[in-house]
Amino acid sequence: MKANKRVLEQNLPQNAFLFKDDLLLVAAKTNSGKIYTVWIELCDNPKAGVTKVLKDKKGKNLDCCSGAMHTLSSRHGGTTICYGEWSPMTSLYKIYIKCRLWLEMYELHLETGYFIDHYLKHVG
Amino acid sequence: MKQNTENMIVYVDSEQLNEFLDSPKPLMRGYGYEWEGENVIHLYTKPLTHAYGKEYDVYFSKGKCTLCHPDTYVVDVARMYGEMKVEVYYINVEGDKIPLDANFIPSKDDLYSRSKGLLETNVLKTKRAMIIGLGSFGSQIAIELAKAGVGYFKLFDYDRVELHNLARHTATVKDLGRLKTDVIEDAIKGKNPYAVVEKFPIDINNHLGLLEAEMAKADIVICATDNNKSRFNISNILVKLQKIGIFGRAVTRAEGGDVFVQRPGGPCYCCLIGNQWFAQAREEITNVASARRNGQIAAYVSEEDAEAVVQVGLSADIEPICNMMVKLALVELSRGTQSGISCLEDELVWDYYMWANRRERRHKNWASMPGAGNKPTIMRWYGARVSRNENCCLCAPQNMKLDEGEGLLDDFGIEIKNTDLSDVTLK
Repeated sequence: MKANKRVLEQNLPQNAFLFKDDLLLVAAKTNSGKIYTVWIELCDNPKAGVTKVLKDKKGKNLDCCSGAMHTLSSRHGGTTICYGEWSPMTSLYKIYIKCRLWLEMYELHLETGYFIDHYLKHVG
Repeated sequence: MKQNTENMIVYVDSEQLNEFLDSPKPLMRGYGYEWEGENVIHLYTKPLTHAYGKEYDVYFSKGKCTLCHPDTYVVDVARMYGEMKVEVYYINVEGDKIPLDANFIPSKDDLYSRSKGLLETNVLKTKRAMIIGLGSFGSQIAIELAKAGVGYFKLFDYDRVELHNLARHTATVKDLGRLKTDVIEDAIKGKNPYAVVEKFPIDINNHLGLLEAEMAKADIVICATDNNKSRFNISNILVKLQKIGIFGRAVTRAEGGDVFVQRPGGPCYCCLIGNQWFAQAREEITNVASARRNGQIAAYVSEEDAEAVVQVGLSADIEPICNMMVKLALVELSRGTQSGISCLEDELVWDYYMWANRRERRHKNWASMPGAGNKPTIMRWYGARVSRNENCCLCAPQNMKLDEGEGLLDDFGIEIKNTDLSDVTLK
């Protein structure tokens, strides 16, 4: 955990992240200027997502498993993002960056209607 | 039905006869299990856990037995000048005693005498093998180690035998529904009745303390699980305890496979992550339920699509990989003894071993076997050194450098703006 904290401190200002219970919360500001809060579980192979249940272009909640939208069943009251593979070497910051990428794709989806899968064929 | 004892083949257990002779009892009741219609019967002083065939009453007696119960077997046993004398007979319904020739299930010391010279069986019978995962790999490896004379086993697996296992597992149809730990215990004891087997039908990922405590007592750890989460956990404890672990897996449709040996001071399983060959290989998916559990198939993948991902290779294709794991284990367990396999200590020195069964996918550019010369081809082992990752979080925590996702944004070709978060407030 120390190493993870160090990476977060090196890459993000102190005000942008906090550890709360079994979660890491991190602020994410997308290219459009919208601000989201990303949560990441503090365990091996953690799940990650955003604190709100987001809606797709058609207004449907992103709260279940979707291959097209790269989401999993809702956890912690928000949308869960399928971010790809994990190993013990994966930092919480890398997971955050993957979620940040997903949020960009999500906003593109809201604009164009293309599924996230269209943009994000592989999340390595 | 009248018992036909003509040409009856009778087996008695030498170890049990010695135990009986050493006991104060003059007479004891035992158990006979006949392979009906096959003219074979085994006579024991103790009941078998999973008995077979037709059961008979048996009486074991020191000296001549005076009992005359019809349709029973009698074993008269005595020790004269240090030699055991045994007479076996069947008492038919008329009360006639029909003498039978006795064959012996050898005692502990003689069971693996045939391997003496090649394997140091006296050493192996004191060794403790921990086998985590009793699927198609673990089941075969456990039995092979028992056949080699390894005396102690710790078996970890929480799964039960299901229909889809049968094609590659050592379990049979009559084992359907049973815990794999129970099935493999029977198989081990079928090969070596004196083996000591401890069973742990648990998910190791939820019992890391127990795993560590048991691993501390093991001489070798065989990691035959089907997911990286458990492999990382096992590797982590191996590093901590400075133990040797052997990891093996098949890749897609068992077109090939690899074996990794984690030795104290060497690279750990986590160091493999950056290894080109290891990373390229997609692990074989043999079962949707476990693949979903392990995250190999994402939860959002439909049942139909998931089934399409399941591509099970042949049992014959995973056998060479199991075989290599067994040999590596035997070399490590025999290390330091003068055995017939000591010479392999100079051969099996690599960290990582690769095997290809067919020229498919990542092996498609390999040379065909005829005329391959020095080029890589199928059905040959290739060994390689793996560099230790100096920044590995498992085996070099003091220099740990986690993957921060450098280059991730470049890979996706997306410009990321608004990286300054100094003005945001987290609620």
